[in-house]
Amino acid sequence: MTAFNASRRRFLAVSGAVGTGALLSSCVTQSPSASGGKSGGPVTLQSNLSSPQAKTSMQQLVAAFNKSGGAEAKLNTVASETFRTQLPTYLTSANPPDIYTWYPGSVAESYAKKDLLLDLDDIWGKPELSGYSDALKKLCTSTSSGKKVFVPTSYYWWGMFYRKSNFAKWGVQEPKNWDEFLDLCDKLKSKGVAPIGLGAGGDTPWVASAWFDYLNIRVNGATYHRELLAGKHRFDDPEVRKVFDTWDEARPYFDPNGTAIPFQDATTALLQGRTGMMLIGTFFADAAPKDALGDLDFFQFPIIDPKVPVAEEAPTDGYFASARSKRADGVKELLSYLAGAEAQELYLKNSSGTALPTHPDAKDAGTPLVVKGRKLIESAADVTQFFNRDSSDALQPTADTALVHYLAKPKQIGSILTTWQRSAQKIWSQ
Amino acid sequence: MTATHAAARVEEPSDGDGRTAKVPAAAPRRSVLRGRALRTTGFHLAAGLLSALWLLPIVLVLVTSTRTFDDIAAHGVGSWPHSFTLDGFRQAWVDGGQQRALINSLLVTIPSVLLSLGLASMAAFGLSRYDLPFRRVLLLLMLGGNLLPPQILLIPVSKLSEVLGIYDQLYALIGVQVGFGVGFYVFVLHGFMRAIPGEIQQAAVIDGAGPWQIYWRIILPLARPALAALSALSFTWIFNDLLWAITVLRTDTQMPITASLIGLQGQYVSMWNVIAAGSVIAAAPTVAVFLRFQRHFVAGLNLGAVK
Repeated sequence: MTAFNASRRRFLAVSGAVGTGALLSSCVTQSPSASGGKSGGPVTLQSNLSSPQAKTSMQQLVAAFNKSGGAEAKLNTVASETFRTQLPTYLTSANPPDIYTWYPGSVAESYAKKDLLLDLDDIWGKPELSGYSDALKKLCTSTSSGKKVFVPTSYYWWGMFYRKSNFAKWGVQEPKNWDEFLDLCDKLKSKGVAPIGLGAGGDTPWVASAWFDYLNIRVNGATYHRELLAGKHRFDDPEVRKVFDTWDEARPYFDPNGTAIPFQDATTALLQGRTGMMLIGTFFADAAPKDALGDLDFFQFPIIDPKVPVAEEAPTDGYFASARSKRADGVKELLSYLAGAEAQELYLKNSSGTALPTHPDAKDAGTPLVVKGRKLIESAADVTQFFNRDSSDALQPTADTALVHYLAKPKQIGSILTTWQRSAQKIWSQ
Repeated sequence: MTATHAAARVEEPSDGDGRTAKVPAAAPRRSVLRGRALRTTGFHLAAGLLSALWLLPIVLVLVTSTRTFDDIAAHGVGSWPHSFTLDGFRQAWVDGGQQRALINSLLVTIPSVLLSLGLASMAAFGLSRYDLPFRRVLLLLMLGGNLLPPQILLIPVSKLSEVLGIYDQLYALIGVQVGFGVGFYVFVLHGFMRAIPGEIQQAAVIDGAGPWQIYWRIILPLARPALAALSALSFTWIFNDLLWAITVLRTDTQMPITASLIGLQGQYVSMWNVIAAGSVIAAAPTVAVFLRFQRHFVAGLNLGAVK
C-alpha cells in the first residue's frame, strides 16, 4: 500500500498533470540511441525510500553491490510523494534513471502497457530468481506482453494487531472465526475499551480500504475481489452489498474516532490501550516505541465463510527498470543482486525488520512476530496486494470517499455504492 | 500607554482651579482613569492572547523537535513532552541530508536574487527613464505574464530544460527562478523609478553622464529601498519554492531544502520529531533574512501600491 496525502491534493493534481502531459509529449523528446546495451556511467537506482532509516539501509545495500565488482550503481533518493507524482516523467524522459522502487501487479502493468518497462525475462531464468514462488512469478509478469517486468524483493502482511499485555489484562484470547471475533469485541466494549481502532482520518483515509479488501476476500473470495477492482463487476452488485452487511455487524465496535485520526495516532491509541486491536500492515511497527515492539502480536483476519479459499493481503515491493535505460547489462546485474538472498538479508537487517524477503532461502528477522507472519502468508491459498495495488492509484480515492462516507452514515450504503460505481466507471473507462 | 499618561497630565492643571470642585470631580475622573486603564489592560490582554495563539504552532514545532520519537509514539504528538534530545536535528542534518540541501538552496537562491534583481533593475531603468518604443506593451506583457499561473508551464519547462541539456542541474533552477521573477520585479521597480524626479537625471546628463553612469551612480542608489524590499521578498519566495525544484531536478544531491524536507517524511510513518527539527532548520535562513530586512519587508508590502 502506498501513502496517500490528501493535504497535498492540489500539489498532486498539479504534478499529476505534469506526469500525464509528459506521457503525451514523450514521443517528441525520445532519444534516438535509447536501446544500447552498454553505456558508460553507473546504474542509477531511483528510490522512494526517503525516511532516514530506510535511506541508510538502501545506501548500505548499494555500497555492498559496488564492492562486489562488476557494474557500479548510484542511489538516488527522492521523497516518496515527489516520486509518486514524478514517476511518469522519469519514465518518459530522454535520459531516465535506470531502476525504480515500485510495486508489481496492475500498477506496474499500467507502465508495461505503454512499453516503458525493461523486459526482464532473462534474469528470471537466473539462479537468484528461479526459486521464487509461482504466485510471485505470475505477479511480476505483464499480462499484455507476457514478459516479466518486475523483480520483487520484499513483502509485508496485514493482520489484526494487538498488544499482548493488554489482551492478558482484559482476559481475552485471539478469536478463530467471525463469531468469536464479534464476541471478543463485545467483551472489550463492556470493559470500556473501543474494540477496533481504525486511523482512517487525516492523510491516511486509505487505511479503511484494508477492511473492504479483507471482508471482500473473506466473503466473496480473492478472485472476485480482483475482478471487481479490474472493473469486471459492479460496486453496486449484491455481492458487494453483502460485504457491507458483514461490516455492519462489526461497525458498532469501531473506535468512534476512527475516521478522525490518522493511523499513526491510532497506533498510539492502540499502544495506550484505548483501542483493543487494529487491522493494519506491519509498517505500523515503525510508529511504535522500541520497548513496545516485543509486546505486539497479531491474529489472522477472522474467517467468515469457511467455503471461501483463504487469501491474505501481502503487498509486495521491489523494482522495475526503464525500457529506455542505456545500461541494460548493468541494470540486470544489479536487479539479480537485489533478488538474491544475501542482498535481501542485508536490507532487512538494516531496515525496521518487519518486512519479509521474497527469496525462499533468505532469512527474515526471526522475531516471533515475523515468523508468525511468514507462516500466515505461506499457508494462504491466494495473496492479494492492496486496494490501490490491485487496481490503480486513481481508483483509491473513490474507495476512500465511499468508505469514509459509509463509516459516517452507514444507512446510506445504497446510494454510496451507486456513487462509487459511477466514479469508478469514469476511471475504468479512461 | 503614553497617550493615557499624556491625557491625564493635561487634565492636571484644571484640578487646582477650585478646591471645592476638586472633591466631587475626583470620583468621575478616577473612574475615567480606571476606564482607560481597563481598556489598556484589555487591549494588551487580547493582543497578548492573540499573539500567543499565533505563536502556539511554532512553539509546538519547537517542542516536538526536541522530543524523542519513542516519546511521541507512546504519548502522541499533542501530549506533554516526556523527553529532551537534540538528536532530531542531527538526524535531519546528517541522515536526512539537510546539510547538502541547505547549501543547494543557498547556491540557487543567492545567484537567483542577484541576477533577477540586476536584470530587472536594468530593464526598469530603461523602461521608466527613456521614451522607448513599445514600452507600454512590454510592461503589460510582463504584467500579463504574472497573471498566468506558472503551474501551466511545468511540462514545457521540464521538457525544455531536458532539450537544453540542463535538466537536473542547479543552473536550470536558477534560470527558471530568474525567468519567472524578472517580470514582477521589473513592474515594481518601474513604478518606483518612475517616481524619481526627472531633474536629477537631467542634472547628471548636463554633467556628462552616459546612460550606464546614470543607471549605476544615480538611479540604482536612489532605488535602494525598493531593491532591499524586493530582495528580501524574492529571497523568501525562491528559498521556499518546491514546485520548480522537483520539476527540473531529480537527483537527491541537487535537491534544495524544501524538497529534502518532504523527503524526511517516510512512506508510511512520519518521525514527527525529525520533521519538526528539519522544519526549524529550513525556516532558519528565511527568519534570519526577515529579521535583517524587517523594515524593508513592511515597506515592500505597499511597494507599487500607490503610483
